[in-house]
Amino acid sequence: MSDKPKSQTVLVVGGGIGGISAALEAAECGAEVVLIEKAPTLGGRVAALNRYFPKMCHPTCGLEINYQRIKKNPRIKVFTMAEVSGISGSKGDYTVTVTTTPRHVTPACTACGDCAKVAASEVADPFNYGLAKMKAAYLPHAMAFPMRYVVDPSVVGTPEGQAIKAACKVEAINLDEKPESFALQVGAVIWATGWKPYDPKNLTMYRHGEIADVITNVEMERLASHDGPTKGHILKPSSGEAPKKVALIQCAGSRDLNHLAYCSRICCLASMKHAAYVREQYPEAEVDIYYIDIRAHDKLEAFYQKAKADPGIRWIKSKPSRIEKGASGEPVVCGENTLSREVYANAYDLVVLATGMQASAQPPAGAQLDDYGFVVSEEGVFGAGVATGPLDVSMSVQSATAAALRAVQAVRS
Amino acid sequence: MEKKIGAYLCKGCGIGEALDFKALEGVVTKEFKKPVKSHECLCGEAGLAVIKADMEAGEVTLPVIGACSPRVMTDRFMFPGMTPIRANLREQVIWSHPAGDEDTQMLGEDVLRMFMTQATKVNSPVPYTEGEFSTTILVVGGGFAGLTAAREAVKAGHDVLLVEKKATLGGHAASWSAIVPSKPPYHDPETNPLPKLIEEVKASSAIRLVTGATVTKTSGMPGKFQVELSDGSSHTVGAIVLATGFRPYDATKLSHLGYGASPDVVTNVEMEAKLSAGKVHTHAGAAPKSVAFIQCAGSRDPNHLPYCSSVCCSVSLKQAIQLTKADPDVMVYVIYEEMRTPGVTEEFYRAAQEAGVIFMKGKASKVEGRHGITVTVADELLQQDVPLGPLDMVVLATGMVPNSTDPDAPAQEYGAELLNADINPYPTEGDYKPAASAPPGGSLLNLQYRQGPHLPMLADGFSDSHYICFPYETRRTGIYACGPVRRPMDMGEAHEDAMGAVLKAIQVIRNAAEGMAVHPRAGDLSYPKINLNACTKCRRCTVECPFGAIDEDEKDYPVVNPTRCRRCGTCMGACPVRTISFDNYTVEMLSSMVKAVNIPDEFDEKPRILIIACENDAYPALDMAGIAGHQYSSFVRILPVRCLGSMSALLISDALSVGYDGVVLMGCKPGDDYQCHFVKGSAMAKERLSKISDTLKSMQLEVERVTMVDASIADSARLPKVIDELVAKIDAVGPNPFKGF
Amino acid sequence: MNAISPNPSRAYDLNFARYVYENIDGGERLRMCMQCGACSGSCPIGQQMDHGPRKLFMMIRAGMKEAVLTSNTIWNCVSCYNCVVRCPRKVPITYILHDLANLAVREGFDAAKKADNARFAKAFMWSARKYGRTDERLVTGIYYFSFGLLEGMKRGMGNQKIALNMIKTKRMHLGMPHAIKAKDELQNILAKAQEIQDRHGKGA
Repeated sequence: MSDKPKSQTVLVVGGGIGGISAALEAAECGAEVVLIEKAPTLGGRVAALNRYFPKMCHPTCGLEINYQRIKKNPRIKVFTMAEVSGISGSKGDYTVTVTTTPRHVTPACTACGDCAKVAASEVADPFNYGLAKMKAAYLPHAMAFPMRYVVDPSVVGTPEGQAIKAACKVEAINLDEKPESFALQVGAVIWATGWKPYDPKNLTMYRHGEIADVITNVEMERLASHDGPTKGHILKPSSGEAPKKVALIQCAGSRDLNHLAYCSRICCLASMKHAAYVREQYPEAEVDIYYIDIRAHDKLEAFYQKAKADPGIRWIKSKPSRIEKGASGEPVVCGENTLSREVYANAYDLVVLATGMQASAQPPAGAQLDDYGFVVSEEGVFGAGVATGPLDVSMSVQSATAAALRAVQAVRS
Repeated sequence: MEKKIGAYLCKGCGIGEALDFKALEGVVTKEFKKPVKSHECLCGEAGLAVIKADMEAGEVTLPVIGACSPRVMTDRFMFPGMTPIRANLREQVIWSHPAGDEDTQMLGEDVLRMFMTQATKVNSPVPYTEGEFSTTILVVGGGFAGLTAAREAVKAGHDVLLVEKKATLGGHAASWSAIVPSKPPYHDPETNPLPKLIEEVKASSAIRLVTGATVTKTSGMPGKFQVELSDGSSHTVGAIVLATGFRPYDATKLSHLGYGASPDVVTNVEMEAKLSAGKVHTHAGAAPKSVAFIQCAGSRDPNHLPYCSSVCCSVSLKQAIQLTKADPDVMVYVIYEEMRTPGVTEEFYRAAQEAGVIFMKGKASKVEGRHGITVTVADELLQQDVPLGPLDMVVLATGMVPNSTDPDAPAQEYGAELLNADINPYPTEGDYKPAASAPPGGSLLNLQYRQGPHLPMLADGFSDSHYICFPYETRRTGIYACGPVRRPMDMGEAHEDAMGAVLKAIQVIRNAAEGMAVHPRAGDLSYPKINLNACTKCRRCTVECPFGAIDEDEKDYPVVNPTRCRRCGTCMGACPVRTISFDNYTVEMLSSMVKAVNIPDEFDEKPRILIIACENDAYPALDMAGIAGHQYSSFVRILPVRCLGSMSALLISDALSVGYDGVVLMGCKPGDDYQCHFVKGSAMAKERLSKISDTLKSMQLEVERVTMVDASIADSARLPKVIDELVAKIDAVGPNPFKGF
Repeated sequence: MNAISPNPSRAYDLNFARYVYENIDGGERLRMCMQCGACSGSCPIGQQMDHGPRKLFMMIRAGMKEAVLTSNTIWNCVSCYNCVVRCPRKVPITYILHDLANLAVREGFDAAKKADNARFAKAFMWSARKYGRTDERLVTGIYYFSFGLLEGMKRGMGNQKIALNMIKTKRMHLGMPHAIKAKDELQNILAKAQEIQDRHGKGA
């Protein structure tokens, strides 16, 4: 090769399962890797999931192994609360500007928790999708990596902020921290910016936010998680009671030209998992799954057949047209059962909208996107995981491993 | 270099207030006669400087850090030389037990004793780097996935040996007329990339092409595989990518769908051949005016293939679009049960609808007639049986059977043991019946391994990983499957998959040469060493290794292949005579750590229960219990192990013989849907435990004293309760009579 | 132009479907229907329709021309557009139903409908003259009772649910009937229309 890359460093943007995997696979091939993440901790969306289909195992299990791999690998540098604000250059020689958001806590933090003890005010907890509040000085969750607290900017310049600062014995609180920018020289860039849940506010007919017991699939994951707002008990948000009848509505936004034109791939299976959560916690509960087509590809068909064998789960081939508010404020799912032609109006204790996946960031210059906002791989700038399209976890990691090879090829001297 | 141990105790994070540091220091100085320094905040710059100064001065070579969990501050407590020993006084002592309490203090001191003892027993691992390591990658299979793998490996700087059984390259897809789109706008069939790919591979000087040949023998290990081919040549390669693809499901088994009864009932493979030839016509030679595609022909059928073959929907869409493009008047029907076009392929479904293809949801119950075929469809949307026809052609969308065996080679019995049939990751409830055996055929690689010639496969016959987070996990280190042999997939996915497998091949080559393990203990330099003088040739290690890393020599002695090893220690746990050890991990070390704990006599009414905890899941869960402030009995002593598989049954008898009142094993879920990171480590521990009752009886001890608990990393709230219950249960059995002996 | 009749010996003959795709207003997008049922489920009178739009579209594909054109579904659409805004494949369902009704008239599938329509038109014109607009309650009332007292009551009771749904979807209101502001002008227009019709004869 005549054009040797100027930099052999690989930049991975996004510290979810895709970005972590891409960073590790490249670093364990000898590449120098910089991994940057917007949030205060790595882990991304999967850290907020209770379990993975079809094994019903816990996402934190694989994250733990990956964090251990990162901790022991000197070739990976991690920046959290950092975002890319600009890219210039070409394959082998990019200058990337990274901007950081103040954490107000320095690396001297020992995660002792003294700051949280004195913090009084509460802020929205994004890890729990706003279903819970957290202290203004917080550890994002027990599996946070880096294991370091964050002080919310709302207490900067307040007496509370001073109290938080004073509580820290190792003087790790810096309330004067300002956003900073720095430049990185890298040879290849992997965008692993993942996804965001499709905003249920757009699905006006399903009245999320208006009827308390209509929730989304990502919220369901938090309700089912042992470290979630209900400590793993699936309860009706309206009353805190156990649900007896639960509806799971597929394609809430996906496969819909008014919303997401594509199929989000994972929702059917995630809903079967949710049915399993409910049936495990409440053996008497009934679960209805509303669907257009059940998409359980390859061996995941086994997961579908297992769910089908459960007499407590009903399958209704129908895209519900709307949700109405019943006499006691309960959600009533309305539509047509396409197999029986019955026009139904079924009342539930809890309705879960299987909202789809949307590309989460608009990557700046350097990456080519398709019409949906997914990264299409190019020379030197690549996509990995759900940044390239709706994928399940296994396929995301597969995609990230492929992206790692592309990066390794691009920075090869 | 002489090992010099020094202890450093941290008073930060409340440890200083909760524990009596004089007493802790006394443990180090009086019991171990080693230097100790306490600091207000060991992980701060000043604290680290204390350790660094001692190490630079040569006074200490192996620091024992009594502070937080080894899971945190890992990078900060990393110094040149030996990896520090971490005694977890924070998460698992003061955060999960009351401060200033006598029992908490005893726990803290015991933790220090255990890890000071570990420090005295560890040695720096000496990696295996003997001999030459090859960087060549063997790619088996010259279809789309294999050719892609070969080309991409070369782009990353590796030489490739590409072996294809057939005389020509390209596999099934070589002659395909067009492929399912994988590029925006995902709307039209794409040009088959194979002809160009074949040219690129043929033109590459870094690829050595052997066609018309198969692999007759594979021995050795990553970096040093010895491969013999059917053409008589032999080669040394560093890693292997298995891209042997698939065979279409045998349509002769689909007579209920009319195959064989009419020449105009064809498979999707046969239709593809007609499309490539540019002339689709019926047996009678006429252009068909009406064609029906029957989906799931064999797939998702408990009598045929239990799984979904994933690609048949989009392949039928493609062929249907091609038919309507060629003749806008043709009537094309797709009879489906679930239209599976996940992700952006949904757009391709719309493209077929735009083309006027009619989709009928239902099952084809009957296919009749030789010409003018009628398909009876149980139409679920019209709620009636529809006789669809007369049709000029019927296309059966047959599925994929993985070439995880060579269909043309004499069948080799798999055997339950070799397939690891004890591990069945598929549910057996409902209609899903996993394939009873591997796809018929012989071995592809003919591995000369103690554990048999095959690359292990899952119960459905695909050579896939059982891990969601780790799709390239393999039970034969250095051999990575990709393409449809791993999972049913289309060409777009196979392209990505081939790239992923190449990355893993490059990674194993690089790490093997440096004596380092690959995932999950990436970078580990230790490997098992066997003292053959003590070996009884019982073969447990060679049989139980989850990765088939240990073979037997002609005298039946075990032979370790270090670069196949993943360092879980299952062999060490299996060995009944404790003769397998790692430089930094031995049965003796674990036993000494267990024995280092002070056992109060029975009149103190302070039982001691040993928890042997998997360090990947149970141990972090206990850490997180501490972070969340969940309290549990201070009578337990936690011993982390690489995997429960590395736990020797002798460790349990050791613990009981020194007076522990009970032993609890905490490991990942074994069996179906196993979660053990070393495949079957926890399953082996469970098996060993089932045999321990004899030992207990011979010691005249109650079986209730030893328990195994499935623990997941999300059990931080549950485990404290489980611990307290078990402590109460063991306490009720009464004190261990061996106390004080 | 007449719709091509399907080949009666063939189920799922596509000739009729292709005619609909090409000639019916909005028919082009009918190909895109994926039978999810959002339309029939959205319809305020979906329960009263014999097939509902979703199944009707499947019947078009199946070549069931006569069943489609004699279906009450094509006549019962109240143009609330709920189905259209919710259709995930952007099928203009309302247009298609209305134009299928036109087709049914053109092809003579509407004999029963004709007699019925005369009664309805009478009620409609009464409301238009009186208020300058249709008042759904009064129009249906007059229309129903034109069949006689008993039949009128029966029809009224039978359609309570539709009425409720129409109120919900804001296709009908409660309270006094509204009249338009310039009722006189409308009446002049109607008189002029009558005059033109009288002069040129029916069917102008």
